[in-house]
Amino acid sequence: MAILEVRNLKKNFGDTQVLKGVGFTLEKGEVLAVIGSSGSGKTTLLRCLNFLETPDCGEIIVNGETLFNSDSRSSKSDVEIRKKRLHFGLVFQSFNLFPQYTLLKNVSLAVELLARERGDYKQNKSEILREIGASAREILERVGLSDKLDAYPFQLSGGQQQRVAIARALALKPEILCFDEPTSALDPELTGEVLKVIRGLKSSERTMIVVTHEMEFARNVADKVIFMADGLIEEEGTAEEVFDRPKSQRTKAFFTNYKKS
Amino acid sequence: MSFQTVTRMLLGGFAENGFIFIMTLLMALPLGLVITFGSMSSVRPVKWLTRTFVWIIRGTPLMLQLFVVMYVPGLLFDVQMPDHMFGIPVNPRMYSALIAFVINYAAYISEIYRGGIESIPKGQYEAGQVLGMTRGQIFFKVVLMQVVKRIIPPMGNEIITLVKDTSLARVIAVQEILWIAEEFTAKGIIWPLFYTGVYFLVFCGILTLLFGYIEKKLNYYRG
Ligand SMILES: Nc1ncnc2c1ncn2[C@@H]1O[C@H](COP(=O)(O)OP(=O)(O)OP(=O)(O)O)[C@@H](O)[C@H]1O
Ligand SMILES: [Mg+2]
Repeated sequence: MAILEVRNLKKNFGDTQVLKGVGFTLEKGEVLAVIGSSGSGKTTLLRCLNFLETPDCGEIIVNGETLFNSDSRSSKSDVEIRKKRLHFGLVFQSFNLFPQYTLLKNVSLAVELLARERGDYKQNKSEILREIGASAREILERVGLSDKLDAYPFQLSGGQQQRVAIARALALKPEILCFDEPTSALDPELTGEVLKVIRGLKSSERTMIVVTHEMEFARNVADKVIFMADGLIEEEGTAEEVFDRPKSQRTKAFFTNYKKS
Repeated sequence: MSFQTVTRMLLGGFAENGFIFIMTLLMALPLGLVITFGSMSSVRPVKWLTRTFVWIIRGTPLMLQLFVVMYVPGLLFDVQMPDHMFGIPVNPRMYSALIAFVINYAAYISEIYRGGIESIPKGQYEAGQVLGMTRGQIFFKVVLMQVVKRIIPPMGNEIITLVKDTSLARVIAVQEILWIAEEFTAKGIIWPLFYTGVYFLVFCGILTLLFGYIEKKLNYYRG
């Protein structure tokens, strides 16, 4: 069974149709790269998956469980949306770290808040917090920042900040981790370190969706590539299929433009 | 009139200013937050009523508001202000003064809060949301500290203005420091009037140092 199934997703902002019926499936452990020109709706797609936007039409199914269906107006209570969100993680283009907290706290905060809802929180509070701290340390070590646990975000380079943001998203163990152009706010010499971390996350347990303009990265890491144009999936396939043998004229034109710039 | 006597009498007057100052802050700081929530409410009538209220309060002189609170309850509704507070006898006019000051300052402070809250980037809320935080957790754990840091400078300004505004209470015959000093001028002694400036300068100086200290404390992070 597919871990993620998206059906006929549509989203309008006022009169402009931004998503016009997007659908795809993803198997567990797959990495999906989403490419496409500016304004084609890539960010909007990720925002819909993370419940930051409510689609006007369509379905989102994770592990067979329908999280969103525009036909059955499920209740939009804060609690329920929160639960659904936790299937997904999102790394923003602009990091959005919490400036007043250390790196360690940035990573552990949400997990700590979530742990308060556990039945045994009161009895085992100190042990639970210790475990959360230890696993936050471990995750920061994975992204290569174990020497900066007590630093504040403003003391880091953009690449380091983005790695913290990745660690923060990982800490909640989302089933599907989404990245929205994780390197486009970075200086060129810093993109490598972030892409390396993302590449290192690839495993049979972790499903990822990466919106990116880094074509080399998409080609090397993605199991599946989607090319979006004007709110629709114009082309879809394996990296070789989309990059080496594109069928659509628009895809070809996009790559030609891309190589020129 | 000896220097010591004048100093002591002016100090007695300044105690009234200090009292208005403290009481106004204690009540206007929380009330301001309530007004902020009103003016940011997604319920339109609440939002527009609150904003109209803030417009009226900020758009008319505090002195006029003092007169309104002083005269209107008695003339229109035959309401008398009580003559004691927490069991201690006070000038009933002190009640009028405090009501006017609290309402006036709560309106200004609410705008400072609103400016601070609205200056926090949307990305901070969204980061909290995708991390599964509740609205309350996002406000208290993510946004609040950042708001506090941003509003400290304008709040310092407002609070220092309040120190000096307290002397406006004299227009409804609260015997604050300028009132006392002016009584000396009636006797032909003019220097106490200028001497009052020292009280304000010292008090504002202390507040400036305090706010500088708080700003420095919050400077451990940026953003
Ligand atoms: N909140 C919004 N209100 C109105 N229009 C919006 C909103 N968000 C996005 N849009 C519009 O939707 C379209 C698609 O935006 P989106 O950000 O999804 O594109 P994108 O593919 O991520 O582009 P980019 O590569 O530049 O990031 C754009 O034309 C944008 O102006
Ligand atoms: Mg985008």
